[in-house]
Amino acid sequence: MQLNFAAREVTMKLVYYGPALSGKTTNLRALHQLTSQESRGRLMTLETKDDRTLFFDMLPLVFRAEGARGASAEDGKGMSLRVKVFTVPGQVLHASTRRLVLQGADGVAFIADSQIRETENNAAAFVDLRDNLRELGLSVAQMPLVIQFNKRDLPGVRTDAEIEVLARRGREPVFRASAVTGNGVLESFFSLLQLTWNRLDAEHQLGKNLGIDRERFLPMVAEKLGYRGDLETLLSAAVGGGPSAADSTGGETAGEPT
Amino acid sequence: MSAQSPTLELDANMDGRLKLDELVNREALTELCTSFFELFGIPVRIYSSEGALLADVSKPQEICGYVNAAQRGRSACATVVGEVRRADPGFAGDVVHMCFTGAAYRIIAIDYEGRQIGRLIVGPYLPAQTTEMPQSLLIAGGATASATDAATEGVVGGELEPTKARSLLFQMPRAKSDTITRLASHLKAVLDLVLFSGHRALLTSHMHLASVRESYRELEDKNRKLQATYDRLKELDRLKSNFLATVSHELRTPLTSIIGYSEMLTAGIAGPLSTEQMEFVQTIFEKGEQLLALILSLLDLSKLESGTMSVKLRRVDLGSVLTSAVSTLSPVAQKRSVALKVEVPPDLPAVHGDPERLRQIFQNLIENAIKFTPEGASISVVARPLPLVFGGNAGEESGFALLAPVRAFVEVRVIDSGIGIPDREKAKVFDAFYQVDSSSTREYGGTGLGLSIVKRLVEAHEGKVRIEDNTPQGAVFVVTLPVDRSPATTPSVPPGPG
Repeated sequence: MQLNFAAREVTMKLVYYGPALSGKTTNLRALHQLTSQESRGRLMTLETKDDRTLFFDMLPLVFRAEGARGASAEDGKGMSLRVKVFTVPGQVLHASTRRLVLQGADGVAFIADSQIRETENNAAAFVDLRDNLRELGLSVAQMPLVIQFNKRDLPGVRTDAEIEVLARRGREPVFRASAVTGNGVLESFFSLLQLTWNRLDAEHQLGKNLGIDRERFLPMVAEKLGYRGDLETLLSAAVGGGPSAADSTGGETAGEPT
Repeated sequence: MSAQSPTLELDANMDGRLKLDELVNREALTELCTSFFELFGIPVRIYSSEGALLADVSKPQEICGYVNAAQRGRSACATVVGEVRRADPGFAGDVVHMCFTGAAYRIIAIDYEGRQIGRLIVGPYLPAQTTEMPQSLLIAGGATASATDAATEGVVGGELEPTKARSLLFQMPRAKSDTITRLASHLKAVLDLVLFSGHRALLTSHMHLASVRESYRELEDKNRKLQATYDRLKELDRLKSNFLATVSHELRTPLTSIIGYSEMLTAGIAGPLSTEQMEFVQTIFEKGEQLLALILSLLDLSKLESGTMSVKLRRVDLGSVLTSAVSTLSPVAQKRSVALKVEVPPDLPAVHGDPERLRQIFQNLIENAIKFTPEGASISVVARPLPLVFGGNAGEESGFALLAPVRAFVEVRVIDSGIGIPDREKAKVFDAFYQVDSSSTREYGGTGLGLSIVKRLVEAHEGKVRIEDNTPQGAVFVVTLPVDRSPATTPSVPPGPG
């Protein structure tokens, strides 16, 4: 994370990790489509060969907020949250590139392929994530993390019931998605954004220092992402995630809906 | 985080403060502005957020030249230009700055990824709605804001002639405000694309470098581990050789006594022995000799492995070495009724070698041949010079005639008609303790060390040893040794590096 108090700017880095061809880039494309014009930058794709990511994709998003005390952005009391969403190259051979992209990540979305035959690849990619984080001096347990089971639209996939059982036993929020149709993309992203914000806020008192009112800020971000409903519904798409995730979403947003 | 792995120097967020002048090339920016200027005739300047002028495409306006000619006009103009340069439109902002001449400047923010990274200054141009020359032009001394005050000071430009000023002013390019807005937004869109491409290229090259560096670091890491393992193994190998040398030496000392005393017993020094006693003592003596030979071989091998065996290379007449080896072994051959023949051509060149070690090589090979040759058969030792060998790649290198290393070799073939060696075993027989068939140890005796010593000794001479088949039966051990190239008059050469 980069925090610039003078410019009233927070930059967070979110990384979409996962095995080859699990749909990380497709997630980013869908996210780009969802986001309002003024909040999104161009989706940057670096060096693709045969439509495969060689280095990474990057989607810059900027959310400008008014200050919590009603001060508008013109008064200089507002802030901007810059979110840089990266994908890593999934192919095994790009190991060092994956580590480079992962460096400095504030949150990780793990995009798994729901097809049963991909089970081992999913597991191997997760172990790779864990190892790379360790190399970088980070621990996967400390990292804001969401898991997305993508490609729900395909045949031969793990059943919903199975995913639910797995998710409830795990500690991360798990989402079901079909990135090609855009289903589940926003839910996964927003959940990760929210977890990461909570984490950074706890560490750096972002809200307090920048005068940002979380209850107003997060719904505003959701709106920029093209979401019109209330946050609780958005976040309830997750299966599992443990009691702490549920608390931080339910309790605080309930007080002041958009 | 980057402290963990120092080579990961890539800006973690890839979100360092992007600078306009790092993303685009100044010449390209000037070309873009030039084409804008050629299309619309309105000057364009581009500044980075740091205040550097990156592109400036304008043509001096006649009215400006005229105003500047007047002293007060010049200072008023400088003030306006300074204000325009300093004007900050803010993020996504767009401001108009009026000149006292009535001309306008538009200052528009250049944004990228939600940050302002520069300014676009369009102008001066005359707003389309201007019909009258403003008073302030003639009061060329006051800035626009204080024009009225300046007018009261009554400093009417005696140097500026109103009619001329008016006509020059209306020669300025004219544009409507919303036209400028559209032009500027078009220019910004083009610029944004240029910036995006520049940014992508920048990230790609950074990423590329970082990836290469990271792969290099990984390789180095592996290399270090391999080197450490290699060093450890080498150390273990050295310890093994030392151990072998020490143990062999310690074994030899008591063995010398066993052999010596049994020899004295057979010589009858301690009184006469019965036939049976004599047989027993002779067996003790023979087995003692065998054991000694084995220990000596082990010693040789460990010396060769540890590199402590000294090989003193000099000019050696191979013929006499071969004759001497054969004569040493002829009693053994006679005992087995095996005929031993030596063929050495009179013109055989001298080789570069250590005579003691060469004798050891050929004694080992001949002994080996005798062991595996059936009674009544014969063994030949044939030496001959080989044609010259030209190293290098003929035709691929220029100056081949000068540069190609020319080497001469002598070949010695030890030909037996024994059981022969199957192809798949040919390379293995040179391994220490290896025998083609472990039962042969019992049948033919030997330690399995002889050939491995031969191979190491030949290699220490920069020579080679290989095995060929003899027809119809048997094996041929072929040893090639380098010919001594030093002038024949020199009796010896200093020991080579090997």
